[in-house]
Amino acid sequence: MSAQTHRFSLSEISVLLRGETQAIAEWSARWDARRFTLHIGVIILGAGLYGAAMGWWRAPQQGLYVAIKFPLIILLTTFGNALINGMLAPLLGLNIPFRQSFSVIVMSHAITAAILGAFSPLIIFLIWNAPPLTTGAAGAPAYSLIILAHVAVIALAGVTGNLRLLQLLQTIGGSRAVARRVMLAWLWGNLFLGSQLSWIMRPFIGSPDLPVQLFREHAMRGSFYEAVFHALQRIFLFH
Amino acid sequence: MNENNPVPPMIPPADRPTPPPVPPLATPPLAGNRPLGDDPAERVAIPHAFAAIEALLRHPRRLMFQLRQPGSGKLIGGMLFVALACAAVYGVVAGTFSGHEQLWAAPVKIAAGLFISATICLPSLYIFTCLSGSQARLAEVCGLLAGLLMLMTILLVGFAPVAWIFSQSTSSIAWMGFLHLVFWFVAMLFGVRFMQNGFAHTNAKSHAGLNVWVIIFLLVAVQMTTALRPILGRSDTFFPTEKQFFLAHWADCLKQQDGENNARGRN
Amino acid sequence: MIAVVVGAGSYGAVMGSWRDPWQAVYTGIKLPLVMLLTTAGNGLLNGMLAPLLGLNLTFRQSFTMVLISFAVTSIVLGALSPVAWFIVYNTPPLAAGTTIKSPEYAVLQLTLAVFVALAGVIGNVRLLPLLRQWSGSARAGLHVLLAWLAVNLFMGSQISWVLRPFIWEANKPVAFIGSDCFQGSFFETVFNAVCRITFG
Repeated sequence: MSAQTHRFSLSEISVLLRGETQAIAEWSARWDARRFTLHIGVIILGAGLYGAAMGWWRAPQQGLYVAIKFPLIILLTTFGNALINGMLAPLLGLNIPFRQSFSVIVMSHAITAAILGAFSPLIIFLIWNAPPLTTGAAGAPAYSLIILAHVAVIALAGVTGNLRLLQLLQTIGGSRAVARRVMLAWLWGNLFLGSQLSWIMRPFIGSPDLPVQLFREHAMRGSFYEAVFHALQRIFLFH
Repeated sequence: MNENNPVPPMIPPADRPTPPPVPPLATPPLAGNRPLGDDPAERVAIPHAFAAIEALLRHPRRLMFQLRQPGSGKLIGGMLFVALACAAVYGVVAGTFSGHEQLWAAPVKIAAGLFISATICLPSLYIFTCLSGSQARLAEVCGLLAGLLMLMTILLVGFAPVAWIFSQSTSSIAWMGFLHLVFWFVAMLFGVRFMQNGFAHTNAKSHAGLNVWVIIFLLVAVQMTTALRPILGRSDTFFPTEKQFFLAHWADCLKQQDGENNARGRN
Repeated sequence: MIAVVVGAGSYGAVMGSWRDPWQAVYTGIKLPLVMLLTTAGNGLLNGMLAPLLGLNLTFRQSFTMVLISFAVTSIVLGALSPVAWFIVYNTPPLAAGTTIKSPEYAVLQLTLAVFVALAGVIGNVRLLPLLRQWSGSARAGLHVLLAWLAVNLFMGSQISWVLRPFIWEANKPVAFIGSDCFQGSFFETVFNAVCRITFG
């Protein structure tokens, strides 16, 4: 590895964002605790700032809770799926060690979190201009606008993170088809666990009719997928 | 700078002589692929804010080159100071529409609003430039944003006499608001063009991200005028007591204007 | 500047002479004033627009160029003054029951406006080759001309509105500037008129 790529600095975040796959592939091949800490720090800071902006509309305390919960979901998903992701990569044709697959996923999440963090001032400004979150606000245009803004920003950050991951996997493995298979497998696994973790850690935006809480009283009751299933049942079977 | 060029004849004769040489622009309006700094004139340091204005208008490549040099912080500071002063000057002109406390409130709100909008949008600008593959450092991104603000605000100062004469003539807030928005939009177009030219020299692969950012900045700045209202017209409080999005506010202004026109028509 | 004062001044005097000798004096002063105030008011903006659009002129040069265009316009207006005077001479005087809706008043207004438009077009057409040669690019020259034209028309229309009347203001005595000079704007009036025509 060249001395230049081995040198550690904060500007590495911009290298990640630019998707300089050659340099990133070299980083992922060699474990560096300081670099790993930096990526984890970016996830905590970026997702935390975005979470604070998200919860702030309901109450400042809700902002604090979501600032803790949002990065926690990303980190728990990353660590929770680390083993299965590390196994899936060689099974699907990408023969990389467990540590490298873990490192690559952390980098892609760092990209997502950096984008989320950069958009947090815009979300704060949007919320500052919105009427307070009161009873009945769910039907107001401001509520829809804020929800749409969250969806757009999270989608942009998520898609960018995964696109960069795909490019990186292609550089490491040399095959586009293999890279796509591995990326999709990891994506499904992370979405599956991430959705359930988000369900447990709700609320995020908060409801004006319910008190500000870190977790709902029956957080561990039911699951995200059961809720989706019941919702579909209600729609199609008119229950 | 071009003082050695005499004024051309009033009506050129049929066998028109070649006009006196005018130094060509250091860069055409849309930057080519020529690397920055290949012309020795571009390497000349920009000593003060007035030279920065001159460079921004006539030799933008010189400014772009200087923004990439180590220690460009002082230059960026000077550019921001000029932008702040010009925004305040334009604010005073906007304030003459209502007079009284608006003579100081409007410049404060316009200058502060512009800078807060830029600060809010800076992180996303940096992210978009990185995503587009640009090699620009954060300082260079800040410098190009400062260039956008400076060009916008000096053009607004150019529009100030026009804005002033309309401020004195009309009593319609909706019309004046529309006029200020048009001036602001024209000024922003030039500012954005400077910024795009700047990023074209940083190996950016596409302008798509920057274009998305321009829309975000536009929306934030327009919303800022609603968040800090009134900038035109008077109010009992410095800040608004009700939160509104700009489209709702504009609709209210038009309704109010319509009501006033109808009342005037009845009288 | 002399060309502007003499050319536009003589045309303005002819315009105002239909109403009253004093109106002739006032309009003879006001018409050049519109051109000079427009040039001065837009001097800074025109000076910024030129380099931004590809023509590297100094502020003083761009100011002079705009003044040259107004001077050409004024010379043409001055040359058209005798023709305009002949039309004014043949239009029934205001005292003979001419109202704002009289056809003769409409013909007078239209003819005078057409002369001004013609002079303006010539002034700008003469400026275009100069701008093209100075910039070395036909596109840049045209862009600068169009930008200058747009801002000068915008400013000039409003200054003319403030300095009205130029020919005659119904039911009002002769005055240098109308008492309601700072009420409303040219474009609001046009917009309201369009609304009235369109929506009734």
